[in-house]
Amino acid sequence: MMKSTARIVSLCLLLVSMAPSAAERLAVYTVNYPLQYFAERIAGGQAEVVFPAPADGDPAFWKPDAAAIGAYQRADLVLLNGADYARWVAQVSLPNRRLVDTSAAFAGRLIKTETGVAHSHGAGEEHSHAGTAFTTWLDPQQAILQAWAIKRALVKKRPQAEAEFEGNFAALESDLRALDTELKNILSNARGQALLASHPVYQYFARAYDLDLHSVLWEPEAFPAEEQWNELAGLAATHAATWMLWEGEPLPESVARLEQMGIGSLVFDPCGNVPEAGDYLDVMQANLARLRQALTGGAQ
Amino acid sequence: MHALYLAWQYLVFHRLRTLTLIACVTLIAALPLSLEVLLDESERQLLSRAQSTPLLLGAKGSALDLVMNALYFDDEVPELVSMRAVDELWDSGLADPVPLYVRFSARGFPIAGTTLDYFDFRGLELAEGRQVALLGEAVVGATVAEELGLGPGDTLLSSPQTVFDLAGVYPLKMNIVGVFERSFTPDDLAVFVDIKTAWVIEGIGHGHQDVSQVTDNTLIMQRDETGVVASPKLFQYNEITPDNIDSFHFHGDTGAYPVTAVIAIPHDVRAGTILRGRYLESEGLQQIIVPEKVIDGLLQNIFRIKNVLDAVIVIVGAATLLALLLVFALSLRLRQRELQTIYKLGCSRATTAYLLGAEILIIGAVAGVLCLAAVFAVEAQGSDIVRALFIN
Repeated sequence: MMKSTARIVSLCLLLVSMAPSAAERLAVYTVNYPLQYFAERIAGGQAEVVFPAPADGDPAFWKPDAAAIGAYQRADLVLLNGADYARWVAQVSLPNRRLVDTSAAFAGRLIKTETGVAHSHGAGEEHSHAGTAFTTWLDPQQAILQAWAIKRALVKKRPQAEAEFEGNFAALESDLRALDTELKNILSNARGQALLASHPVYQYFARAYDLDLHSVLWEPEAFPAEEQWNELAGLAATHAATWMLWEGEPLPESVARLEQMGIGSLVFDPCGNVPEAGDYLDVMQANLARLRQALTGGAQ
Repeated sequence: MHALYLAWQYLVFHRLRTLTLIACVTLIAALPLSLEVLLDESERQLLSRAQSTPLLLGAKGSALDLVMNALYFDDEVPELVSMRAVDELWDSGLADPVPLYVRFSARGFPIAGTTLDYFDFRGLELAEGRQVALLGEAVVGATVAEELGLGPGDTLLSSPQTVFDLAGVYPLKMNIVGVFERSFTPDDLAVFVDIKTAWVIEGIGHGHQDVSQVTDNTLIMQRDETGVVASPKLFQYNEITPDNIDSFHFHGDTGAYPVTAVIAIPHDVRAGTILRGRYLESEGLQQIIVPEKVIDGLLQNIFRIKNVLDAVIVIVGAATLLALLLVFALSLRLRQRELQTIYKLGCSRATTAYLLGAEILIIGAVAGVLCLAAVFAVEAQGSDIVRALFIN
């Protein structure tokens, strides 16, 4: 008994001594929470993954201060979402050799969104500031490709830990595939069914599961103005949706008024920022449960 | 000792002739030595910079212009290549590219647009301030900071390309956020900005009022449901501040944005060889060169010129020595009576020879000291002289 305990203790000590120290761990910075989660899952103890945005805002529109930019500049790897996410990246100097565009593998399939009228300067060429839908990870297949890009960058940075990264990636890939399968099962019934989204963030989600989704520009924490309600009523004539997806918990008044219009409210958190409880997969499982409840009445 | 005293007194009495002799001897000795020092310094500067740059990608054309612009920030701008060339290097997986856009200047110093990778690659350390972080920020080399009296918190205006091109490149007021430690390389003489800032100076990126919100009708030439055509009167910002940075944007395909050169850092020797092979085909519009080879060729030309100069110096030196001998011979003839007097006073012929020898010794010693001082001065300023003579 004493012998086996001693063996276990020595094995633990050996494992502890083999684990990279804080100084040896890679410093990996990300621009949103899903990338942080993927990187943490894949890197294990080999990296310290930092997402420095405050927890109470949308990281897509967050702008880091000089100190945060300095930290990004010193990182071993900076994981970008691509798809015009975190536009501040275009206005700062980051080391190209350490940048990883995680959506590069599907850059040709990104969804363009028009966000403003076209204009030109004098005789110059006419152009518009078209945007790109950026919540790429809401399509789990794309999320897998982003995770793969992270794994590849980590392997390149620390080839000696390749086996560990590959194993961790396989586990994450399996979780994301399971999520995709469950979403397919639930949403197969909703194919072609008209849905509404409170914000235009579900483009890839809608494309992945062939949903007839129309977005408005409402905020969960604000009661929509009368003009917005009128617009919704007009929209309902051509797009008879029975559910609206919300990024966060909507105000009870909004829910009540929507119910009067025959539209139920359903929270589907894109999880762009660090969740208050649990992790990315927990949030997605909660989204799944709500979807299942709403669209199939709780049937498995 | 007495001979030295008498010789010194004699030379002081004939100070003009003495100074002429000293100047002749000093010049004859200092010229070839100084030239040697300068050539050694130029070789060191040119070669060390070239040796530390493995490969350089640029447009086909003068390899020397490409190297001089990319390595020494020479104001002769080579043909441009596009950022697509940088992307192709990335995609090749053979080398890490570091783009350079060296086309503009600020108060006589070149503005080098690049990425943070350049500073890592060159091992440039900050003496004060911080690294460029935002669009419109600049970090200056040690000499720029010293000569222009700049430090973090100051601003520096880029120079317009031509005085008469009123519609050309607008000057951009850059915010200095850091100063690099002296590296004794051309980096000391440069103003470093992010390559995106260089494109803003170029006019590819700019910031202006939101045209969809403009109420002044004189700023709008045409407005309809699909678009707005702004008049050239629309004000474009010439300084990037926290208030207007969000309005800065770039037009067109980023792959088409210009760069003057791309430093390619191959992952290993084999990758470098494969990469060079890919650009050897004659149809391509780009070339990849080994800067060390280009600089070797340049140095060989310099040394060829040096050989000619050496020959000229030898001939001039021989002529001067002959002239000096003649001066001494004539001097002895002129001093015949004086030497006779010395002899009659009881000095032996050997003492007379000592006296003349002491004079030559003093002239030689003073000329030697001056020659050494001149060579040391050239050596101390060699770095700047070389840059002025051979690099800029």
